[in-house]
Amino acid sequence: MDLPLRAVDIIVNWARQRSLWPMFFGLSCCFVEEAAAFTSRYDIARFGAEVLRGSPRQADLLIVSGTVFKKIAPVVLRLYEQMAEPKWVISMGSCSNSGGMYDVYSVVQGVDQILPVDLYIPGCPPRPEAVLQALVKLQKKIAQERPARRILGLEGGSQGTERGPLVDGTTKTRDPRGTGLETTPVRGTSATPPRFRENRYHMIWTPRAPCLQMEGGPPHYLKKLEELLNGAAHLEVPTVDMPCVWVQGERILDALNFLKRESIPKFLRLEDLTVVDESARRSRRPDHRFTVVYHLLAFDPPTRMRVKVALAGDPPKVPSVTSIWPSANWYEREAFDMFGVIFEGHPNLRRLLMPPWWKGHPLRKDEPGRATEMPPYTEEDAKRAQPLDASEIIPRKTDSQETLILNLGPHHLGTHGLMRFVLELHGEEIVDVGMDIGYHHRGVEKIGERQTWHQFIPYTDRVDYLSGAANNLSYLCAVEKLAGVEVPPRAQFIRVMLTEMFRISNHLVWFATFAHDVGAMTPNFYTFRERERLLDIVEFITGARLHPSWFRIGGVAQDLPDGWKEAVMGFARDFPSKLVEYEAMITSNPIFKARTKGIGCLDAQKALEWGVSGPNLRACGVEWDLRKAFPYSGYEEFQFDVPTGRDGDCYSRYLVRVEEMRQSVRIIEQAAQRMPDGPWLPEEYRYIVPPKEESLRHIETLIHHFINVTQGPRIPEGEVYFATECPRGEQGYYLVSEGLGYPYRLRIRAPGFANVQVIPDLARGATISDLLAIIGSIDYILPDIDR
Amino acid sequence: MGASSWGVAPSWLLGLALYGASVIGVVALVSVLCHWLGGKKPSLEKLRAYECGIVPTGSARLAYPVPFYLVAILFLLFDVEAIYVLCWAVVAKELGWAGWVLMVVFLTLLMISLAYAWRKGALDFRAAKGW
Repeated sequence: MDLPLRAVDIIVNWARQRSLWPMFFGLSCCFVEEAAAFTSRYDIARFGAEVLRGSPRQADLLIVSGTVFKKIAPVVLRLYEQMAEPKWVISMGSCSNSGGMYDVYSVVQGVDQILPVDLYIPGCPPRPEAVLQALVKLQKKIAQERPARRILGLEGGSQGTERGPLVDGTTKTRDPRGTGLETTPVRGTSATPPRFRENRYHMIWTPRAPCLQMEGGPPHYLKKLEELLNGAAHLEVPTVDMPCVWVQGERILDALNFLKRESIPKFLRLEDLTVVDESARRSRRPDHRFTVVYHLLAFDPPTRMRVKVALAGDPPKVPSVTSIWPSANWYEREAFDMFGVIFEGHPNLRRLLMPPWWKGHPLRKDEPGRATEMPPYTEEDAKRAQPLDASEIIPRKTDSQETLILNLGPHHLGTHGLMRFVLELHGEEIVDVGMDIGYHHRGVEKIGERQTWHQFIPYTDRVDYLSGAANNLSYLCAVEKLAGVEVPPRAQFIRVMLTEMFRISNHLVWFATFAHDVGAMTPNFYTFRERERLLDIVEFITGARLHPSWFRIGGVAQDLPDGWKEAVMGFARDFPSKLVEYEAMITSNPIFKARTKGIGCLDAQKALEWGVSGPNLRACGVEWDLRKAFPYSGYEEFQFDVPTGRDGDCYSRYLVRVEEMRQSVRIIEQAAQRMPDGPWLPEEYRYIVPPKEESLRHIETLIHHFINVTQGPRIPEGEVYFATECPRGEQGYYLVSEGLGYPYRLRIRAPGFANVQVIPDLARGATISDLLAIIGSIDYILPDIDR
Repeated sequence: MGASSWGVAPSWLLGLALYGASVIGVVALVSVLCHWLGGKKPSLEKLRAYECGIVPTGSARLAYPVPFYLVAILFLLFDVEAIYVLCWAVVAKELGWAGWVLMVVFLTLLMISLAYAWRKGALDFRAAKGW
């Protein structure tokens, strides 16, 4: 009996090994590398696993790639259960394996806690080759299985995943310290950075933060504001980066109305709205518990200012500003979710990022920060804690007999990440759109409060995981502004060069996915070819592909390697002709035009008011680019144009991005040709991590190295907001420092958060296929929306 | 072939029969094997409709507006009329001017109805709003 069964085993295993159907569950960064595995350079089809499936019904291999969030975990489990049997699971990347660098309240510390995993791919993120290796390893595992008995309905045998999920404390451990280190304390408690006894770190002297000089006293609009509010507003001096006004809570609407509609200049955009919990201040603790911070932006001339409101009382309350800026809707919901601040008069004040069952407000200083401080998230939790029902996200507007409620996402190819659209449909026509976000909330703002200024750099790469080093720049510009660090010219040029490379790399992925969204598969294989070439250069310079984490406070990690110039110039020479190839495929393609022209039109006024930024804003005809408006990192020394569109539709957004790639090549070329000589880190080592070889030679340098690596540099007390022109729009960092090695509060103003808020307005009245074109043309990314 | 062909089954017919039988046989074998060997583990989640990983809201059995239905019906009508025109074209000479006049009347009516449908918005996918 056994011999014929063995023969059946061999035949069945042979067939199964060579016809695996992987389903993607792309959660974050890792998925980009997973997707690269089926493009032309890696070509996963050679291993018998064809193009990734979108639906669990057609798949027998689940590749969970990226961070598994508590809010998305029920969906992961459901899709696993909906797959055909026998089935296998590959967990790709550190986050999915163990939570990785995200030991934070919103993240499941390993997908193996909710479903069984056959194979783990290490890395953050793993390379595409690692996916191929995992596939080969899984094929070997399948070859060991004995499916014949199962197939024939007999006892015994084995196939698919046999064991259940792991259990914390028995089959796995979530201890962040590792085995043997149980006696050392976990660094970074929930509320504040640790204070060590007899530590002399606090005695280190640092200079004051640079001070904003206002020649001839405060600007005119501030004087008028003080007059208007008659004692309810006062100027904060000194500040580092922009004028700041404290306003009493009950007068905030008057103040903001004046600043938006009457003052000169008019502050048309609510750049950011956030809250600071003041309860854990070490020095100069204010009387109030929370401060609401509004950042405003005027376009003509480019001006920024900050308005603050002190909140006491339990629960803290402040009037909602949604009547002045409709875009405040999500900002206020987020602040309510994270801090429990009540915005009176808000049309729909409920949780935005955290799941509906969540208790507490995670960014409050007394809430736990680490997931490992909380009970483990288990399979039972994933079965119980379902996402909100669609009817709670959009109440039906019309007679329910006529319309269909449909969920598009969070697991959908067209939503480009974990975003959930809830559509009310009349036939194919969209009556209403609701959006549910927070499936990708990685709690980086909380993490920022426990990592030193240097340690946070790798987290910035992952905020917009397709823009790599461009993220480093926004964060570091803010830190350097606060610390008054001068970046040497060579470092500035290197930074600009890499940032522009990532702009192209990002736009190449966007080109492929956007064309794919409207039905063109081919551009994928072309743009990923050039992207690989670009990533090779990035890897050659920095040692990493997606997340170089290569910029440092004051400069960059290393000098450029020998031979960099030939590689960069070679790319800059070839790329424009490749762009011509892409455009020949798409730009005047009648199908593409029919799908994008006149679809999703956004008018300029609305775009300005909603805080839409980047190519999406320029496509409406607004010539606004932070590289020109507030030049940083030496951008004023480069010649480039700011492309703008005319119609604000999907097609205009396409044209603007294509032209941006051309301009980026120009900048890269100029940076490479005029690359200055000299140091790539400042001479003064107060805040930076000095090069290792230096620190081995001088004791002073060694001390700086030791202090800045272990405890973090003491960045001067103060607060700063700095925004740069990231590939997707304006990404800003708001940092509050208490003069310690850690930020007191770190806030990220993400371009996507503002950009996607207009999608429902663009999509109402359009069809589902139009919605997908709109989503593709807006080009958002989830870790940047949810952070 | 000729008149004698029904007496003995010709070899080509035998080939066809064998071929047909093997096609049916293979398909039946594969279906039966799949049915018999395929593992079945139905569960609540597995049988639930797939909607991007979310539990669907409401029923899919509703009065679904079908604007393309109108377009399809109109296409069918004009398609059938094309058959009449083709038939007439074959015998146009025999029918003479009388036939021609009848055809012109027929086509004119057709054009008027097309214009009517067009004006009513029946060809416009998006204008066919029901509310």
